[in-house]
Amino acid sequence: MAYDPRRVNTGSTTPQTPPPPPPPPPESATPEMDTQATQEGTDSWKLKFCTVCASNNNRSMEAHLRLSAAPTAFPVISFGTGSLVRLPGPSITQPNVYGFNTTSYNQMYEELQSKDERLYRNNGILNMLDRNRNLKWGPERFQDWVPGAPRVDHAAKGDKGAQGTEGGVVDVIITCEERCWDAVVDDLMSKGSTLNRPVHVFNVDIKDNHEEALLGGKAILDLANRLNAAAVAQRAQHGTEGWENGSDAARLSFDEKVPEILAEWQELNPNLPALWTLAWL
Amino acid sequence: MAQPTGDVAHQIAQLNAARNLVLGDAAFYPQIINGILPIVGPNAKLEVRRWGADFLAETFASPQLATAQKEQLAQNVLQSIQETMLLPETDAAVLQSLVQTAASLYPLIFRHIVNHPEDSQSWEKMNTIKQDILRRMDSFPCPVKICCVKFLQRVVQVQTPGLIADPRRPDQNETSLAIVPRNHAVLTIPHLEAEASGLLDRLLGVFQEETSDVLLVNATLNCLAPLIRTRQSIANKIINNVLDFYPAKHVRPPFTPAVRVGVKSMERTARALLIHILKKNPSHPLLGKIQVYIERLMQSRLEVVDDASRKRTLPVEPTDGLDNAKRARLDALTPPVLQIPPMLPGPAAYDKLFTLTQDHGLSSFDVKQLPPDLVVKIAVPLLAQVNPLMLTQAVDAIRNRYQAVTKEQNLARQQMQQTAAAADDDDDYEPEYQPMDVAENTAEEASAVVPEVPEFQPELVSLGPFVLPQPPPLSEEEAGEVGRSAVARVFSMINVAETDSPAKNKNQQQLGFARLAGSNFDRDAWVLLLTRLATRAPAGLEGGDKLGKKGSDRRQPTISDSIRETLFQYILEDFRGRLNIGITWLNEEWYNDRIQMKVAASKRSDEEESESTVVCHYDTWVMRLLEGILLYLDSRDIKVIVRFLSEIPEVTVNITQKVATLAKDPERVNLCVQALMYLIMFRPPAREMCLNTLEDIYQTYEDSRPAAGKILAKWRPQQTQPTEAVTNGASDAAQPAAQPAAQ
Repeated sequence: MAYDPRRVNTGSTTPQTPPPPPPPPPESATPEMDTQATQEGTDSWKLKFCTVCASNNNRSMEAHLRLSAAPTAFPVISFGTGSLVRLPGPSITQPNVYGFNTTSYNQMYEELQSKDERLYRNNGILNMLDRNRNLKWGPERFQDWVPGAPRVDHAAKGDKGAQGTEGGVVDVIITCEERCWDAVVDDLMSKGSTLNRPVHVFNVDIKDNHEEALLGGKAILDLANRLNAAAVAQRAQHGTEGWENGSDAARLSFDEKVPEILAEWQELNPNLPALWTLAWL
Repeated sequence: MAQPTGDVAHQIAQLNAARNLVLGDAAFYPQIINGILPIVGPNAKLEVRRWGADFLAETFASPQLATAQKEQLAQNVLQSIQETMLLPETDAAVLQSLVQTAASLYPLIFRHIVNHPEDSQSWEKMNTIKQDILRRMDSFPCPVKICCVKFLQRVVQVQTPGLIADPRRPDQNETSLAIVPRNHAVLTIPHLEAEASGLLDRLLGVFQEETSDVLLVNATLNCLAPLIRTRQSIANKIINNVLDFYPAKHVRPPFTPAVRVGVKSMERTARALLIHILKKNPSHPLLGKIQVYIERLMQSRLEVVDDASRKRTLPVEPTDGLDNAKRARLDALTPPVLQIPPMLPGPAAYDKLFTLTQDHGLSSFDVKQLPPDLVVKIAVPLLAQVNPLMLTQAVDAIRNRYQAVTKEQNLARQQMQQTAAAADDDDDYEPEYQPMDVAENTAEEASAVVPEVPEFQPELVSLGPFVLPQPPPLSEEEAGEVGRSAVARVFSMINVAETDSPAKNKNQQQLGFARLAGSNFDRDAWVLLLTRLATRAPAGLEGGDKLGKKGSDRRQPTISDSIRETLFQYILEDFRGRLNIGITWLNEEWYNDRIQMKVAASKRSDEEESESTVVCHYDTWVMRLLEGILLYLDSRDIKVIVRFLSEIPEVTVNITQKVATLAKDPERVNLCVQALMYLIMFRPPAREMCLNTLEDIYQTYEDSRPAAGKILAKWRPQQTQPTEAVTNGASDAAQPAAQPAAQ
């Protein structure tokens, strides 16, 4: 081997590597069959997200919607950390309780509609379930998630945000309540981090009601955009020059930027107390 | 080697198709991996190399692919990784994925080498990769360094002895140093262990840095849980390292928001790790230390991080002049707070209303004794010095008192009116019912007084003592109910006192005869109280009742009977432990019966009443208790039955016959005979009775003969002989017993 492989790389990549740093929206807006992924298959690299709340119904699903419907169309999956899916019932002591992974949003919708349509229409539960059933099949429990297990079928079923999550891994988990963050971090420790893959776990504290979920969802999308921009920038940068040249502060890696991004974001959203750690899948 | 750009895109598309194939069915992995390795190798384009490294990381992490298959694939992949690493590869994304892959591969290769010591080549390659990663770790860019942390953790986990779950099935055991045979050709245990120990120190080194790298600390904290859980030998070392780490101390002064995010993050992650450990092992030896640490973390968080939030809120406040005025007030001198004592109890009066001092001497001092000019001399300068704030407080206090008192009085007046009205109603419904004179009188008085009280007059002085109306008389059932509940309460006291230390009892015993029954409130005292309540308290009362209603059906159970019933149940619940209570009780009953008989006898001689006025509780209850106990007695309970029989005050024929029924049960025959023997030997008054019973038993139950025969031979030699002769032919079992008798 007489040639210097490094030179081969740099030589060949320089013409084509300034990959357009802004995430290319047009390609991802028209998700084609994965098998036919054209050039954007490489270029439209994005962070993969996971949103988590207690019941995988209100807050995490609002965020799921936001992230999957964004112009960048993030790959996103969502979970709940509770033991059961609990939806408000006729009184505080009579919640509607369903099992995770076994009940679809559609089933819940139809059941509650037949129970008392007026009540559940007025308290927004039916609207919420209607939104959810258009996003994915049903609520999933975080603790039952096997990271790395392929989720090809979810993409095939047309779950929103499933494009890109076929591998069953994510880069960022965003919980909507401190309890959920604790549960997620604890569960990841219990799972034993067998994938050796780092994952950023954020918490954005959102009160569990429709209005707060809307605001929180927006803020989460904002956070996601910031994170993604940093990650994409790093990928682009290191592709060309390599980290050795990027000595100045602006060239910090994505991971190093995370605390700063979160701090900046927190200043803008002082009502959504945030928390973060770097865990392992 | 260089390929046109379009080619790269096409290639990636093909690769993605291949990836989709294996994601759908893991069975294709071997085929695909071997197919793509040459394509994504060290000389490929950056995109393709990234894709390849990603795919390898994904493959060896995938839970879908069996470990055995991964182990096979690992051989080929090693070569490729080694070559890429040695380039040296410079792209962070590729390196990230490669280090991840290496972390996944390490246990696989290790296991493979344990089982195939001959394949030292693979181990060499793995080692080269490992050394390369470890050497370059500190110079890697941050994202790669993070992955190196995980790689370190993996190596430590593999090279530290773990638990052998099942020595018979080595394939089931987790990959750790424990599965390496002592005489392994390639792997030398001490060497590996030493290396792991060094790497662990390197891993934990992040906690000792002067300024912590948040990412590395979090990455480390989050990967320690499996080590602590599964590696006993190093668990405590790790925990202690974490416990010595206080995130707030490891940051540099410019506390930017990002730094605060970092500190909070490290604190919460450390806490999450420790809570995770405690959850998995609630009785952890370091529990105390861990809890202290968590508490301290919470505190430092309040100081450091919430300090931040406080500071952040400052600009939100208006910064105009008004605001400053508001702030100034915060530092203004606060007036001394006047201590307002509650109004003195008793009927309200003006002097009490206005007395604010708690000094008794001062409040009882009569100012009238002073000459007026002196008062003026004192009062005027005093008034001039009065602090207006204090005065306001005092006036407010008096006003509050006054309002409270008037409210109370209004309430009382209303109540009185109501009771008056109620009394009227009662009269309408039950004209003949005169409950208590007192109640009605007060009601009348009240109604008489009310109209006379003028509205404007402050009634402070006219408040008299309040008299509670008499309660209505209890019916007999109610009285019984109340009595029973009182008894139940005393019983609950017994249960409470049950756990009393035996030391107390010893003291009591030392007192001997000088002690006073029920003088200290332990279990015995309560028992004694109860038994006497049952036996003596109503003696004469209930007997008299029965006399009057004799002939009519039995009345509902009296209090004493219900106490007896409860005592009986209580003793039976645990008759072995509470036998002494039973004996105390029966003694009391017996004693009471005697007294009653004596009284009755004296009465009888006076009035010639009928003879059966005295109900002998002792006979009834001793039989009931004995019956109850006998049911549950087993063959080893000789001490219980002997104690019972020897300590009850009187043994009757009924009792011995009841004991004799034990002989029906072949298992308890000996128990019965021994109990009787004890009575025969040590209770002379009952001897004849018991011998008779024993003889009956001997006659009736064959099983008893060996034991009973011996006793009879000793105590009634002359009578046993003939019966012996009769039964001798019938039963051989009697023979051994007959011999001593003959001698």
